[in-house]
Amino acid sequence: MTATDISILPDAPISRHRSLLMRYTGLNWMIRYGLTALFLLLALLIATPWIAPYDPDAQDLLNKLQYPNAAHWLGTDQYGRDVLSRVLHGGLFSVSIAGITLVLCTAIGTAVGAISARQGGLIDETLMRLVDLKISFPDIVVAMFLIAALGSGQGTLIIALTAIGWTPFARMMRNLTLEVGTKEYIEAAEALGCSQRFIILRHILPNAIGPIAAMAFLRFGHMLIAIGGLSFIGLGVQPPASDWGAMLSEARNYMDAMPWLAIAPGLAIFITALCVTLVGRGLQAGSNATNA
Amino acid sequence: MTAFIAKRLLTLFATLAVVSMLAFMIPYLSGDPVRNILRARSPDPVLDPAAIAALTEQLGLDRPIYQQYWEWLALALRGDFGLSFTARTPVDEMFLSGLGVSLSLSLGAMLVALLIGLPMGIVAATRPTGVIDNVTTFITQTLVALPEYWVGPLLVLVFTIHLGWLPSAGWDDWSSMILPTLVLAMRPTAYFAQVARAAMFEVLRSPHMVAARARGLSAWQAIARHGLKNAMLPIMTLFSLWLTGLLGGSVIVEVIFAVPGMGWLLFESVLNNDVPLLQGALVCIVALTVGINTLSDIVTALLNPAIKMPGKGA
Repeated sequence: MTATDISILPDAPISRHRSLLMRYTGLNWMIRYGLTALFLLLALLIATPWIAPYDPDAQDLLNKLQYPNAAHWLGTDQYGRDVLSRVLHGGLFSVSIAGITLVLCTAIGTAVGAISARQGGLIDETLMRLVDLKISFPDIVVAMFLIAALGSGQGTLIIALTAIGWTPFARMMRNLTLEVGTKEYIEAAEALGCSQRFIILRHILPNAIGPIAAMAFLRFGHMLIAIGGLSFIGLGVQPPASDWGAMLSEARNYMDAMPWLAIAPGLAIFITALCVTLVGRGLQAGSNATNA
Repeated sequence: MTAFIAKRLLTLFATLAVVSMLAFMIPYLSGDPVRNILRARSPDPVLDPAAIAALTEQLGLDRPIYQQYWEWLALALRGDFGLSFTARTPVDEMFLSGLGVSLSLSLGAMLVALLIGLPMGIVAATRPTGVIDNVTTFITQTLVALPEYWVGPLLVLVFTIHLGWLPSAGWDDWSSMILPTLVLAMRPTAYFAQVARAAMFEVLRSPHMVAARARGLSAWQAIARHGLKNAMLPIMTLFSLWLTGLLGGSVIVEVIFAVPGMGWLLFESVLNNDVPLLQGALVCIVALTVGINTLSDIVTALLNPAIKMPGKGA
C-alpha cells in the first residue's frame, strides 16, 4: 500500500446505520415508492388472519365461479372459495417461505464469504470451488434435482431454494471482505490482537451491509417468482396448502371464462416482486453513489 | 494463458465428475431403486418378491457400488443412459430431440432480448437519470418482476382464446414458437438492457470517447465506432451465461406451452421418477452449461489480455 492509495475521504461512519438508511431513502424514487408499497403489502399480509373476509378453504358450491361483487370483492373460484381470502392467505405462505429462504441464504452466504476471504488458503479455495460448482447448474435444475431426491413439500422447497440462493451472497461478501480487509482500521484491529470474529462482526459486516441489503431485496423477488413457479408446475407447495403459484395453476383451467381467477394471484406476485426489486435497485444505486 | 486454460479445463472435468457421481446416486436417494422401477412400470402397489430379486440381478445391483458406477460411467460417456422407465425409448434419443428444441427456443429468446435490450440500454446510458433512462429502468424492473407463468397464460388468453391468432401450445411451426420465445425473452431483455446501460455508461466516460468527440465525431458516430466495441465484452459474458441458463432452465415456459425441450424432459422425469431420463438430463444439461461457459471464459480471456485472471488478486 502506497501513500497515494490512502483515500482523502474518511469511510462512511459505521456507527450510524440509521442515518445511513435515512440517507438511502432520501436518495431516489425507487426506494421511496418501493418501500411504501412493500410496507402496505406486508401490513396486509400480517393482518390476514383478522381481515380476510372468509375462510380461504371454505367451499360454497352454490356461489361458485362468481364475478367480483360486493360480497366477494375478487369473486369466487370453482369451489365457491373467496378469491380475496385465498390471495391473502396464499400470499402469507409465498412471502413467508421466500422470507425464511432469504434469511437462510443471506446468513449462510455472508458467513461463507467472510470466512473464506479472511481465512484464505485451502478453506477459501474449497469454499469457492463449491460456489463455482453450484453456479455451473441452472437454478431450476438444482431445485428439481433436490425435489426429485427429497420429495416435494414446503421443507424441500426451502432447502432447494436455499441451496440455489446462497452463492451470490457468498461471492459478493467475499469480494467486499477482501476490499474492506485492505483498510487501515483492519490492520489496526489485527495489530491490537482482535479476534477474526470480532473483526468480521464489528468492522467488515457494518461496511458490507449496504450492498448485501441491496442484493437481499433483489433476490427476494427472484425467490418469490421461483416459489410460485415450482408451485405452478406442481413441485412446490402441496395441497391442501396453496400459494399464489398454485392458485395460478388451478386458475389456468378456467382461463377463458374466468380470467380474474388468474389475474388476482399473478398480479399479487408481480406487485410484490416489483416492490422489492425497486427497493433493491434503489439501494444498489445508493450504495454505488456513496462508494464512488 | 496456457495455465489459465488448463485450470479452466481442470475445473470443467472436476465439475463433470461430481455431477456424474450425483447423477449416479439419484436412484439411491429416493429409496430402493428396484422397487421404484417396478412401481413406475405397474400401478399395482403390491410387488412380487420374485420380480424384485430378478430385477436386482438383471440390473447388477448385487455387485459393489464402485463397480456399478464405473460401468454406468463407461456407458454414460458414450451417451448411453439406458431406456426411459416410462417412455421405454433410449434417453439419448429423447435428449437429442429435446436439445434441438430447447436450443432454437433459447437462441430465439436471446435474439429477441438482444434486439430489444441493447438499444434500450444504450439509449438510456446516453442521458443518465433522464426521462428515457427512468422509463427504461421502470420497464426493466417490470420485466424482471413479471412471472413467466402468469404472462404465458395471459398471452394465451389474448392471442389464442380471444383473437385466435396463435396456437396455445406445442412446437410445430413458427406460429407456435412466438409465444414461448417472447415469454422466455422477458427476463434476459431486462438484464441485457441493464448491462448494456452500465457498460455504455462506463465507456462514454472513458478518455478515448472524449478523444473521439474532440476529433469532431458526433455523439452517435463516436458510440457506433468506438463505444459499442468496448461495451461488448460484458454483454458477451452475459450472453453465454443466459444462453446456458435458458437451455436447461426454461422448464416453466416449456411446461406452460407444452414445448418438448430439455426442460420439459426434466420436468417429466421428476414427475414420473424416471431415473435414467433424470440422470441423462442432469448430466447433459450441466455438461452443456459448463462447456459453453468455459468456452466463453477462454474466448473472453483471449480477446482481452488485460482481463484480470481469477485467482490473481481480488
